[in-house]
Amino acid sequence: MIVRSAVLGQRAGAVAPSDQIVFGGLGIGARGAHDLGKLLDMRQARFVAVCDVRNERREAVKSMVDRKYGNHDCRMYDDQYALLARKDIDAVLIATGDRWHTPLAILAAQHGKDVYCEKPCSMSMEESWALADAFRRYNRIYQAGCQRRNGANFELCKELLKSGALGRLQTLYANVGPSVNWPPVPSRDWLAAEQLPARQILDWDRWLGPAPWRPYHPEYVRGGWRNFYDFHGGGILEWGSHTVDLCQWAAELDDTQPVEYEPVGANTGPYQVLAKYANGVNLVMRDDGWDGSLNTGSCSFRIEGDLGWVETGDNTVIASSPNIKPLLRPTESAGLALVNHIGELLRSIKTRQLPRASAAAAANSHIVCHAAFIAFQRGRKLTWDPAKREFTNDDIANRMRSRALREPWRV
Amino acid sequence: MQQTTQPRPAIQAEKPKPPLPPAGFQEGGIATMDAAALIRILTDAGAREFQKAKACQRIGELGAKEAVPALAALLPHERLSSYARYGLEPIADPSADEALRSGMSRLKGNLLVGVINSIGKRRDAMAGPALARLIYGADPDVARAAAAALGSIGGLSSMKEIQIALSKTGGMTKMAVAGAGLVCAERLLAEGQREQALTLYASLSTAGIPQPARLAAMSGIIREETSIGRPR
Repeated sequence: MIVRSAVLGQRAGAVAPSDQIVFGGLGIGARGAHDLGKLLDMRQARFVAVCDVRNERREAVKSMVDRKYGNHDCRMYDDQYALLARKDIDAVLIATGDRWHTPLAILAAQHGKDVYCEKPCSMSMEESWALADAFRRYNRIYQAGCQRRNGANFELCKELLKSGALGRLQTLYANVGPSVNWPPVPSRDWLAAEQLPARQILDWDRWLGPAPWRPYHPEYVRGGWRNFYDFHGGGILEWGSHTVDLCQWAAELDDTQPVEYEPVGANTGPYQVLAKYANGVNLVMRDDGWDGSLNTGSCSFRIEGDLGWVETGDNTVIASSPNIKPLLRPTESAGLALVNHIGELLRSIKTRQLPRASAAAAANSHIVCHAAFIAFQRGRKLTWDPAKREFTNDDIANRMRSRALREPWRV
Repeated sequence: MQQTTQPRPAIQAEKPKPPLPPAGFQEGGIATMDAAALIRILTDAGAREFQKAKACQRIGELGAKEAVPALAALLPHERLSSYARYGLEPIADPSADEALRSGMSRLKGNLLVGVINSIGKRRDAMAGPALARLIYGADPDVARAAAAALGSIGGLSSMKEIQIALSKTGGMTKMAVAGAGLVCAERLLAEGQREQALTLYASLSTAGIPQPARLAAMSGIIREETSIGRPR
């Protein structure tokens, strides 16, 4: 028998199929396709199946994958259970709308799969806890799509804090985006009912999934679901899942949350939520610094110590106090953060070592965002006990820690 | 030290505005109504589906126990049942548990699954015997939900029912029962019932248990046996 050298992994750079991590995808849209594009470039990974409630999305992903691999092998599913039942699939890429993120990730863990999941990773505090519990319970690898944790400019800022160059940490700033698009508190309204497409084109019931029922409108499906409370956690969760996450990671506060949350400003913006950790460190979630005078770009964050400060974002430029400038060095282009991130995922799956954006870390950073979101809705300063997992001064806020999921879904 | 620069307010690029909701689908004043006014919406035969949906959600935030009968009346409603549970789940009063248990005997299919999920979330131990029976019913989705709820409720009674069900179920239901066992074991550990938790983990580590749960149970044993804080 003649066996091609590539099959044995003997060609330069080739990976034997038995050493490849086999992926499936659940709900791959525009952002998911970006992730998938990077994953398809990785020789250690192989993508074999996609599941979506939208026919056009299934076809588009299959076409993208088959074109890349030069075959017709990518299988399409409209039922997540069918994809998850495949024993040859090791891991799944989840890039649905937010409402599906936690339920699907937990289902995947229960089926023994490792997971890459886009952010925001949860719709409530309760989902965040359930997510962390499930991945610890099933001993599965989960990596949130918080790729900036693997971005060189963000890493350098963390390193400068850890080295002591910035002095004692005083305040972290997380930019939570332009409120003109996604204000902190989204709408609870519904759009007018429109004619449902045929089920084979769009399965509206499955599209809604765990979210409460509402009549169909194509705007939701086109991406307009954001800014509706039943599908979205508003600007704080949307952008905080990017930048609050960075603050928690950079300050090595991944295992806790602030204990105070004070909303400032109007829902139309500009607004802030002033938070404080038990150790006295401040966390300011603000929407007034995005692409501002420092030109650090979107998803920026800032670290202030008593000796100096740094701020960086997607432009990869690091702005700093004058005394820190000699310590700065050139960083990578922003696009490499996702490449590094997916590389870390593949290493984690092989070694079973937790990635930086683990389920527990993501759960904690999302709980910070949920607490700030709830404080903004309540319009008052809230105090929070991270160990007891409860607000200590507002019963209504405590009742907002979870959302009922539409039947039959649960976490 | 003095901060030398602070960013100026950003110039924000605005996205195209979405369509405006019609007047009948705007929450408006419902957002600030008190419990009595919200209950009037739920009990008003002329109120629209949208108004009732929003009233349920706001009642859940208020935690108004006087709304329980009105919320319970919506549990059989195909579109509003999940909204009714949205209202019931956060109400810290036994009447909410009673309403959900009552729903278990009245509902079928997905609506029953939803009620069972809420019971599991509230960890209502009084529902245990009824949930245990449902594991062996004809509807596999109901059976799996019942198993999951038992696991979430936890305790020795649930542990016993889960161990029995491990030997009497198969396929996806057995997978759900095993998953429930893992959750139940964690509940037992949290309550200091270590030996019982380890016994349950051992049951879940045997051949015939779906592999993800079996490996998780083994991990649970290792985690517990190697924990520094465990009693010795």
